[in-house]
Amino acid sequence: MRQLEAIRARGATAPEAGGRATPRRRAAWRTALSSYSFILPITIFGLFLLVYPVLYSLALSFRDATVETFVGGDMPFVGLSNYEQILASSTFWQALENTVVFTFCSILFQFAIGFLLALFFQNRFPLKNVLIALLLIPWIAPVLTAANTFKGLFNEVGPINQIAHLLGIPTVPWLASPGFALAATIVANIWIGFPFNFILLYSGVCNVPPEIYEAARIDGASYWRRVAHITLPILKPVTVAVLMLGTIYTVKVFDLVWIMTGGGPANTSHLLSTYAYQVGFSILNFGQAAAIATVIVALILSLNLFQLVLQRR
Amino acid sequence: MPLKPPSGTFPLWRRLLVCSSIIVCLGAARAETTVEIVHYFNVPGQLDGLADIQKDFEAANPDIKIKFTYIPFAELVSRTVQMAAVHKPPAISCIDNPDVRYVAKSGVLKDISASVAKLPTWQDTYPGPKHSVTEGEKVFGVPIGSNSLAIFSNKKMLSDAGITDPPKTWDELTADAAKLTKSPVYGLVFSATNTEESTWQWEPFLWSDGGSLLDLSAAPAKQSLQLWVDLIQKGSVSKDAVNWNQGDVANQFISGQAAMMVMGPWMLGQVHKSGLDFEVTPIPVPKEGEKPVVPLGGEVWCVLKGDPKVEAAAVKFIEFVQDSDRLEKLCNTFNYISSVRSVAKKQGEANPELQPFVLQMDTARARPEEGGANYTKVSLAARTAIQQAITGQATVDAALADAAAKIKPLAAKK
Repeated sequence: MRQLEAIRARGATAPEAGGRATPRRRAAWRTALSSYSFILPITIFGLFLLVYPVLYSLALSFRDATVETFVGGDMPFVGLSNYEQILASSTFWQALENTVVFTFCSILFQFAIGFLLALFFQNRFPLKNVLIALLLIPWIAPVLTAANTFKGLFNEVGPINQIAHLLGIPTVPWLASPGFALAATIVANIWIGFPFNFILLYSGVCNVPPEIYEAARIDGASYWRRVAHITLPILKPVTVAVLMLGTIYTVKVFDLVWIMTGGGPANTSHLLSTYAYQVGFSILNFGQAAAIATVIVALILSLNLFQLVLQRR
Repeated sequence: MPLKPPSGTFPLWRRLLVCSSIIVCLGAARAETTVEIVHYFNVPGQLDGLADIQKDFEAANPDIKIKFTYIPFAELVSRTVQMAAVHKPPAISCIDNPDVRYVAKSGVLKDISASVAKLPTWQDTYPGPKHSVTEGEKVFGVPIGSNSLAIFSNKKMLSDAGITDPPKTWDELTADAAKLTKSPVYGLVFSATNTEESTWQWEPFLWSDGGSLLDLSAAPAKQSLQLWVDLIQKGSVSKDAVNWNQGDVANQFISGQAAMMVMGPWMLGQVHKSGLDFEVTPIPVPKEGEKPVVPLGGEVWCVLKGDPKVEAAAVKFIEFVQDSDRLEKLCNTFNYISSVRSVAKKQGEANPELQPFVLQMDTARARPEEGGANYTKVSLAARTAIQQAITGQATVDAALADAAAKIKPLAAKK
């Protein structure tokens, strides 16, 4: 708003050829119009592709939308019935719990690994840039490829169990056992996501002025003290950004879990996203699927708010 | 050089003439009807079959164009319904047979009973496929062809283990699977993944034992699920079966990781390509002499309500495909069994690998016979029980009791 006023003011004071009052106002109006036209594409884009789908999905979640009611367009309004049914299903609570566990564990390990690697790459050593490039491969690899690779690795007779067998460790059928399927998908997701944490934290670490470390070293601070009291505080803005983006990415993970376990065995590894997909596209109950999607959106928004508050402090 | 011709040489009446002739030409082009067919076929053989039919049909009907649009399997029903909802329905949707009656309930499908009644092939259609497209007097489609399940066995592995004939009964299946299991090779492989595939692969065992999805607390359900649980607990089937879709199952068999598999005819092409020496036999039954009862797979040509001209063209296309020679050719390229008895018989006589599937057609059942339009929900409850039992999360009895409780209200609603 303030910018627009400034533009208008500038338009008003700008020298004009005509010199009369009306053309001056018209010119001001024209400037404002051209300014608005710059934000027009993004506004249209946002309204049609972001706001409209979200609102439509929200509206759908209050309606009885199935294949039967969808075509006539008479999807009856059912109030909170979809939400009631979702909340009454044990799979939903399992999926919610899984989403929280999946996100927390993924972020924790992705961040820890990324941070330790960033610290390591603060040192100078040969082939450093080559190694950095190699470390980015998991982030670049298509999720489809990664998921299928991990599906093979965690196979009952796959490489991971073969190594465990050689070492005399008792093996488990990872993806086929209710207790380990989610864990296996978390491991895969950590592998996919750590380079993202690493590269952002590394660029943050590179920006720490070396003089501060120098001064601390002269004062006799140990390495880990320097990390805790210099690197971490300086990295705080980067950390908050990394955690925020990482959390959003992780809460909405779908493809990885869908390919590795399909939410199974017996619905024990469903995330909210895969559960919503199953309800929507396999059972074809669009209303309930929209209700689950609304829960996901609410979850992400509340996380965002929480992190914005953190960032303000 | 001036680009615009001097106005004098091109009087108004001539321009009007040119314009109107262009419009007439466009109008003539518009007179052609386009029949859009949405489908999820993506196996090369199937695509060749569709292309051949398209060529033949367009040659015979120059005023109709066929346009095939591919949609991924999981989205076919929702996309079909969406297209109809925005008044741009495809002319034909190739819907998976258990979904047909469900989609019909939404009112987008045209009742073509009057047209099919005239077709000689319709009178000769097996009861199972007929059932899947019929609701009372109404007929919502014509089956493209059918498929079902049988046992594929690796001949070399069987003879190495001293087994002369593939298993015919459950006892033989259990014994043979154990005999064939030699790390890293499993005796048998089936799909128990978290999709319709696991219910579908379990149904032959449940139904052959006289069971029903609508009565999962009865003895046949317990016995047939126990059969699967025992096979997995004895190690004759990999525990990873709960994660394998049918594509994975076929890969296990082709790569020699499993000696036998539960599989349908659509995989025949792929198994052949691998050069494996194999044979196909019917699904083992609980006791010798009993008849296997398998579920029916396969898609249905369904006409969507829309422009009457397009509807008529779509019906014409379906009638064209129902010619028995064309039907046989199409089903052979698809590796499907024709839903028409006389055509299926011919296919079985010509190809011993299709014969077990043909023999099973008489007793084969359409999946919506259990649960009707609610079949997908019934199936979901059943497969959760399957997965719980074979992963040891719950006993067979407890898992089935839980599923039976979920299915009861669905069965009552219909």
